[in-house]
Amino acid sequence: MHFRSLRFKLTLWYVLILGILLISFSSLLYFTLSKSLHRDVDNKLRSLAEHIASDPLSKYGFGNLDQTLESSMNLKPIGKFIQVLDESGHLGRKSDNLKNIQLPISLNALKNASKGLITFETNRSIDNTPLRIITFPVVEHSNVTKIVQIASSLEGVEDVLNKLFLILIITVPSALLVASLGGQFLAHKALKPVDDITQTARMITSKNLNQRINPLKVKDEISRLIETFNEMISRLDQSFRQIKQFSSDASHELKTPLTILKGEVEVTLRKERTSQEYQQILKSNLEEINRMSLIVEDLLLLSKADTGEIRLNKKDINLTEILNEVVVQMDRLAKSKGVRLYTSNHHPDIFIFGDGLRLRELFINLIENGIKYTEVGGSIHVLLEKGYVPPVDGQSKLVEREEGEFAKIIVSDTGIGIAKEDQGKIFNRFFRVDKARSREQGGSGLGLNICKWIVEAHQGEIKVESELGKGSSFIVKLPLTSPRMNI
Amino acid sequence: MRVLVIEDEKKVANFIKKGLEEEHYAVDNAYDGESGLYMAEVNEYDLIVLDLMIPKIDGLEVLKRIRGNRNNVPILVLTAKDTVEDIVRGLDAGCDDYLTKPFEFLEFLARIRALLRREKVDKEPVLKIADLTLSLVTHKVMRRGKEIELTGKEYSLLEYFMRNPDKVLTRTMISEHVWDYHFDSMTNVVDVYVNYLRRKIDKGFEPKLIHTIRGVGYIMKRD
Repeated sequence: MHFRSLRFKLTLWYVLILGILLISFSSLLYFTLSKSLHRDVDNKLRSLAEHIASDPLSKYGFGNLDQTLESSMNLKPIGKFIQVLDESGHLGRKSDNLKNIQLPISLNALKNASKGLITFETNRSIDNTPLRIITFPVVEHSNVTKIVQIASSLEGVEDVLNKLFLILIITVPSALLVASLGGQFLAHKALKPVDDITQTARMITSKNLNQRINPLKVKDEISRLIETFNEMISRLDQSFRQIKQFSSDASHELKTPLTILKGEVEVTLRKERTSQEYQQILKSNLEEINRMSLIVEDLLLLSKADTGEIRLNKKDINLTEILNEVVVQMDRLAKSKGVRLYTSNHHPDIFIFGDGLRLRELFINLIENGIKYTEVGGSIHVLLEKGYVPPVDGQSKLVEREEGEFAKIIVSDTGIGIAKEDQGKIFNRFFRVDKARSREQGGSGLGLNICKWIVEAHQGEIKVESELGKGSSFIVKLPLTSPRMNI
Repeated sequence: MRVLVIEDEKKVANFIKKGLEEEHYAVDNAYDGESGLYMAEVNEYDLIVLDLMIPKIDGLEVLKRIRGNRNNVPILVLTAKDTVEDIVRGLDAGCDDYLTKPFEFLEFLARIRALLRREKVDKEPVLKIADLTLSLVTHKVMRRGKEIELTGKEYSLLEYFMRNPDKVLTRTMISEHVWDYHFDSMTNVVDVYVNYLRRKIDKGFEPKLIHTIRGVGYIMKRD
């Protein structure tokens, strides 16, 4: 066990607190008992002394004290040593059990007695036996006539106290030892899942992100920690997977043009060719090079967008004007493919706070996409209108985002359409409904993802509605920043 | 030798076809898994080049189904999937070799030659009957130490004969292995080419190697 470990600290605190408690309790017990036992002895001595002092017989300083006590007061004080002194401290009578020993009397006690005060003393001068001695002056007519001294052995009391002390000195440390072992065990038990978490967390690398920490049966703080950990690993796993998928997609996208370039050149170089053949190969090579640079450019743009390196240059711009310009620009491409491109825009100019360059790119991408997937004789319809969603009380956040006014741009085509199961995926990077077809049409496979980024950077939303064989509609909603900008 | 190339990327398929044809292979292209599988079942190919990421039926599935039909044609998988897992999966599904894109065309040709050689016992890159030799690498044909100039089709025809010595080859078998998919079987092109070939390798040499089996086809043997 490491001294800095939580388990050690917990145990240490636990033992420390328990130790303080036990020691204070033991001391209290010891001192209370000691005090109470001593007081008991003192009380007995005092009552006996008072008794003797009140007896008139004791005034006479002769005869056997034991007999006198027994006959006059019916007293047989066992284990008590009694002696009677005169007022100047000279020995008078004493009990038989004193034999030839005289109870010591201190100067202090004698002085007190002469003032009529009672003194309790503990004395060990006789055989090193602890004796509790009361020096009790007998006062008659405000004169001290005699002094009664009674002693009682404290051996019993000290025996009890010594035994108690011995018991405490053994039991308290052993209790602490047992408690520290128990505390360690409890801390270990409580912290075991934490150790497990550490172990698992240490083993998890980018290679085995599918591992999880085993959840506990009980729901407590640790199990919440485990849940949180597992959720975090799941999120990591997911983003790792996305990155992996993305880089594998990107490398595949780049490998196809590379394979073509390499293969075509190698096959061509195996023999002498006509200049026509060389030209054809070079043209084809150029196509592939252009495709690669398009992919690389789009990838760069998206990676910059991902890291937030691209700042949008937002201004008040005329959306209607931009859209009309793009439509005019794209008309040539549409005509060359035999597709009709038209707009129905009856609305007065709509102004928006946004990046004109990016929005232009958005419209170009959407219209180009429409033209690509529409057969000869089909048409692309571009519609711009203003929408308003009144705030709805108590609705979800999604509705809140649509609050207020927005510009709605719909680009619909009469093309091949997108299957239901693919509609959710078309905004993903490198997702292609028909790989071969989309390559023939050119494009990086990133166009719609870029569209999505541009729309989201304007706090808008983009979605697709489509039916296979009938066509697709891309619907973009961009919030206008303030009504003041409308004319 | 007749090769089927199942590859959806048209430009890749085209340069493979062009490069292989210049090496005297007869090449058919299929642009998706479905038509590729169909062509592999209907025609008898000496080798199949297969891309894995192809539309309609996935390449691995095509591979499994071809093997499921007890067709042991050598298959070379040609794909951009280059992880160890992908390669293991491809080989386990039954392909004979695996080449990742982009690839060296020379290596591609060498691997094809190696796969075709596996069918033979001696694995020599030179085919030999009597004093006639054919080098599969340099495409040089020699008889009695003298080099013989052949056109591409004549070479393919001779290679097929020499790969199957002492075996009767029908006109259909010959057309299937030497000509591609666009061959019109109603013509007598096979007979015409066999005669061209005879004139070049048998005229002025003994023993004659190409013999006609009347009503059936041809056989190449020592006497």
